[in-house]
Amino acid sequence: MVGPASVSPASPGLSRRTLLGGLAGTGAAALTGCSGSGPGESGGNKEPMVMTVWGGDTDKIAYQTRLDALKQAHPDLVVDLQMIPSGQYAQKVQTMISGGHGPDILELAETINVYSSKSQIVPQDEYIAEAGLDLTGQFGERMPQYFQYEGRQYALPDRSGAMITYWNKEHFEAKGVPAPTDWTWDDLISYGKELTGDGKFAHAGFNWWPLWMSLIHQNGGTVLDPESGQPTLTMPECVEAMQFVQDLTYRHKIVPTPRDYQNWGPDAGGDSMFAAGNISISTTGFWNIGTLAKAGKIDFDLAPFIAGKQRAVCASFNGLAISRTCKRPKDAFTAIAFLTGAEAQRTIIDLGQDVPANLEVQNSEQFLKPKWLKKDLSMEVFPESADAIFVPPLIPEWNEMIKAIDDSLAGFWQGTEDAATALGKAQERVTAVFARSRR
Amino acid sequence: MTDTVPGRPAIPAGPAADPPPDRRHEPPSGSEARPARRRMSPMRRREALLFYLFISPWVVGFVVFLLGPMVASIYLSLTDWDSFTEPVFVGLENYVRLLTDDPVFWQSVGNTFVYALVAVPLGMIIALGLANLLNKQVRGRRFFRTVIYLPALVPIVAGALIFKMVLAPDAGILNRGLGLLGITGPHWLLDPFWVKPAIILLSLWGTGGATVLLLAAMKGIPRELYEAAELDGASGFQQFWRITVPQVTPVLFFNLILGLIGAFQVFGQVYIMTGGGPDNASQMIVPLLFSEAFEFFHMGYASAMSWILFLIVLGFTLIAFRTSRLWVFYEAEVDR
Repeated sequence: MVGPASVSPASPGLSRRTLLGGLAGTGAAALTGCSGSGPGESGGNKEPMVMTVWGGDTDKIAYQTRLDALKQAHPDLVVDLQMIPSGQYAQKVQTMISGGHGPDILELAETINVYSSKSQIVPQDEYIAEAGLDLTGQFGERMPQYFQYEGRQYALPDRSGAMITYWNKEHFEAKGVPAPTDWTWDDLISYGKELTGDGKFAHAGFNWWPLWMSLIHQNGGTVLDPESGQPTLTMPECVEAMQFVQDLTYRHKIVPTPRDYQNWGPDAGGDSMFAAGNISISTTGFWNIGTLAKAGKIDFDLAPFIAGKQRAVCASFNGLAISRTCKRPKDAFTAIAFLTGAEAQRTIIDLGQDVPANLEVQNSEQFLKPKWLKKDLSMEVFPESADAIFVPPLIPEWNEMIKAIDDSLAGFWQGTEDAATALGKAQERVTAVFARSRR
Repeated sequence: MTDTVPGRPAIPAGPAADPPPDRRHEPPSGSEARPARRRMSPMRRREALLFYLFISPWVVGFVVFLLGPMVASIYLSLTDWDSFTEPVFVGLENYVRLLTDDPVFWQSVGNTFVYALVAVPLGMIIALGLANLLNKQVRGRRFFRTVIYLPALVPIVAGALIFKMVLAPDAGILNRGLGLLGITGPHWLLDPFWVKPAIILLSLWGTGGATVLLLAAMKGIPRELYEAAELDGASGFQQFWRITVPQVTPVLFFNLILGLIGAFQVFGQVYIMTGGGPDNASQMIVPLLFSEAFEFFHMGYASAMSWILFLIVLGFTLIAFRTSRLWVFYEAEVDR
């Protein structure tokens, strides 16, 4: 237990920043028509801590079950779960922390380094060392790196799984195409042409950053220079990879155009059109397994992400961090260590929520043959993909950078601009974003 | 107004024998110039008390939740603030950058102007036409009134999803309809030009609210005016243009003001339908402001943006008020 003396130095009483935070949050919320609410007083030894997460019903049940287990194991550690809709998560958590009443524990993903770079979450290295945790042994070499900033560990991985290939067994059998267990880019094109036809497309496309960025890395490219941190989007490896992505749609015609997706319906995307049987292969994260298994409409299996010159795949990921406003960071870490430990992570499997970050659990029979899954699926693709996972450049300006790239690629996805032109535009805009933020 | 303030001692009037000097041509000076006040009757005092009692929740709400944050945002707009760490005072830098070095902001301003200046007048004209039709003695008009008002009750998210279906390039009902007329419809939400008309179309779907207000105003127009016009041989259009329209101008004015304020703050339609795309072709000021504040963590910059938006809205509202005397007709004015 931590006494009052260990209150985080970065958690003032009613400072100017706190006051401004509250006022600005209220002002912005009034302007944008959004409402925000704080969790109430947190901290104090007897007060329960607050943990914020986003997600749906399954996530809620999974987190609550794990928190109940935490309470059983550590009766003095009571953590109240606060679910926030994913669209409002950043705004609410930002307002809560700015107002001085942030959550004690918070789930974070791509924006982790917005928080770490501004000291809004606290480094956990000291606690990790004290608890004697071996992060590489527990989560593998790459996943802990997703949550590091300037050499310090700001969160422990909670859920993480490589992007994988879903393939429709009926479509493949009907066309006599072999399972995509070790496909290269060329295989996707040649077999894709066989699978396309009769209003069906071979592949859902790669128009989401974890997908196209994986292909860039497979081709030896990077989005940012690891040394200088400057964008490297116009390097030939990037252009070639992105041109491959565009050619799948407009040259080889094995991937639907944005127009095709719009014609399918207002919410049509790769996952839903794969589930509807309009697309033979979809590349996405773990979450689709539960949806597809539940719907039971199509016979499918899993395979690794396709490979280019080298294997490289992005993972879906999220970690648990401790906010600067947490008054009992050591207790919060104990809770996080428990939640990311093998025992609690088994709940993630039992409920089919996601891929647990804990490798021991990921490699267990319980994960490879989950009891909620009636059919046999190649679940081993997740642990087998672990060594191909790369760490994307999760810089503090991540959201702005991705927005600048997405905006620049609008014509690219519609086939009106080629990869070189679109990436040239993206390079210029990302450079401008950095020039502004790194002054 | 001050003579209704409770608890103030009434200022005694001068001696009754000496009538006050005529000061109409002199500026008032000193205490002599103060008008005589009457002691408030207990009833008026009670009324005043009730006035303050009833208005206080709004006044408190305004000061705490609106005025406070507004004043704070003026200061914040002069700072570089990520909403977490201490704000750094940068003077007018945010404003200078917004006005001279932010092409996306200018694009959003342009898009918002196109949206507001097309959607608002068009919505008013359609609402006026619909209200006029619904005011006719036709069979089933109650049904039509309900149907026209119904979209105003549909949440914006549902409306936007329906419109995504309607606007689908080949499968959408709109382009299929255009196809029957031999017109090839555009790729609405994918086309940088047509995406703005698409969002305007969505806004027109909700004109039921304005229609109901206009219909109520039309119901209040004295029947004799039309009878007299008919006797004088006025056509149906002349009656509409010379009687109906002038009589409902106060409601039109009300719709104009609220429509302008709402249009410049358009958010939901853009956020759900297009996310501002393709390549900011449908980006508007408030969604951009939201991104700057809550996605890019530039709260100071977003605050400056909100003040520029405030000035734009204020400017248009003032123009509307200033020009209103030229076209808004209040019946009370006849007496002047």
